[in-house]
Amino acid sequence: MVLTLPLFHLVLQVVAPSDLASLAAALPGALSHGLVATASASASGAATAAAAVSQVPHCDPVRLNDLGHLVQVMGTFLGLSLFSLGGGNTLLSEYHHISVEQFCWLTPSQFADVYALAEAAPGPSSMLVGLLGMGAGWPEGPGWALLSAYGAELAILLPSTLLMVVACLHWNRMKDSPWRIAFERGLGPITLGILFAVGLKILRTADTNTPGVIVSLMVCLLMLRTRLSPLWFMAVAGLLGGLGVINR
Amino acid sequence: MTERRTTPSPSTGAEETAMHPPTPSPPPSLRELFVGMLHVAFSAFGGGLSAWSQRIVVEQRRWMSNEEFLTGLTVARLFPGPNQINMAVYVGAFFHGLRGALVALAGMLLLPFTLLMVFGLAYFSLHTLPAIDRVLAGVVAAAAGMALSMGFKILGQYRRDPVALVLAAATLVAMEVFHVRLVPLVLVAGPLAMAWYWPRGGLPNPPQA
Repeated sequence: MVLTLPLFHLVLQVVAPSDLASLAAALPGALSHGLVATASASASGAATAAAAVSQVPHCDPVRLNDLGHLVQVMGTFLGLSLFSLGGGNTLLSEYHHISVEQFCWLTPSQFADVYALAEAAPGPSSMLVGLLGMGAGWPEGPGWALLSAYGAELAILLPSTLLMVVACLHWNRMKDSPWRIAFERGLGPITLGILFAVGLKILRTADTNTPGVIVSLMVCLLMLRTRLSPLWFMAVAGLLGGLGVINR
Repeated sequence: MTERRTTPSPSTGAEETAMHPPTPSPPPSLRELFVGMLHVAFSAFGGGLSAWSQRIVVEQRRWMSNEEFLTGLTVARLFPGPNQINMAVYVGAFFHGLRGALVALAGMLLLPFTLLMVFGLAYFSLHTLPAIDRVLAGVVAAAAGMALSMGFKILGQYRRDPVALVLAAATLVAMEVFHVRLVPLVLVAGPLAMAWYWPRGGLPNPPQA
């Protein structure tokens, strides 16, 4: 935190919140709503961050105690499904926004925890959405939590899976289409940019002390240079956390 | 254009599985598909799923030729959705159409997701314990490093494409500094990038995946 926060504060100070708000006002409807919300959230976040970094920004959790809210959870993820480019990891920032800032299902550190949990568990790491759904339903008890978890996972997978089935059946016809080529080549660089933004977002959400940030950077390097299973990195880092070397 | 080889259609897989001579093994039954995908999911404990599915589907069980598998990987990466899950859909649909896709998907997800739910329930019940929280603080630092490496992993393939690097940098700035949300970002930047990369002169020449 000592290492990362000055950097991000710098970024936040360079772009004053008022600039963001006026910029957002100039942009069309749907876009500006999101922008204003995040701009003000991050501005207040920056103000309090200096005092207590792990402080949860105040917002009322959207409770899941009736079917209407469950439908809302599922609708949110259904709408995102087709935007999961580059293997699904591009959605991580959006997951963070939805579950921490918009609906307040999770605190930032809980988000970091469930992300790590999904990475460590066997199977596709995109099952994270199930844990987000579980967090949304948790205040209503484990039964609701499980229902909401299955609903969220189903919602995020259904549209993209159906599209994939259609794509498999018609691949021969579309593989030489200019649309496919332009899509593949054009969306690649955007995916690259999003993945860097996602990495920084998770690093900031993890919000550990300086040894923790050093461990993060070392793990990043080792992921690129070695073929070691990431479980080893998690085990060693978990040990360092248990010993109190890494904390948040 | 030379790579336009005998890439078989997954759609014909259901009726004409015998048509793939490079595949020595008979096509898997639905049950074998389920077990195979389960095997992939649990082998890839902690990452590397697509390498594992290649090892299991192509090398160990010999259901598909390497080319068929790589075609599937291209489709899985191109279309939205998690790569491994799309890959399971491809492998399943290749042999048994929609039914196969669902069975393969179930194999890939059912047990791992149930296990994750157990982890999740344990986490939400216990995470307030100080000892658990301390260990998690460390694990989270490692996970953040893994997240950070995702961008660097694919950076290399764009090294010689300055336009791609500018597009990526602009995307990063839009999200990081201006907090533009993902959906409007993709809807605005996507068509612009597609227009720039639209194949010209009828010579499709996609970069290597």
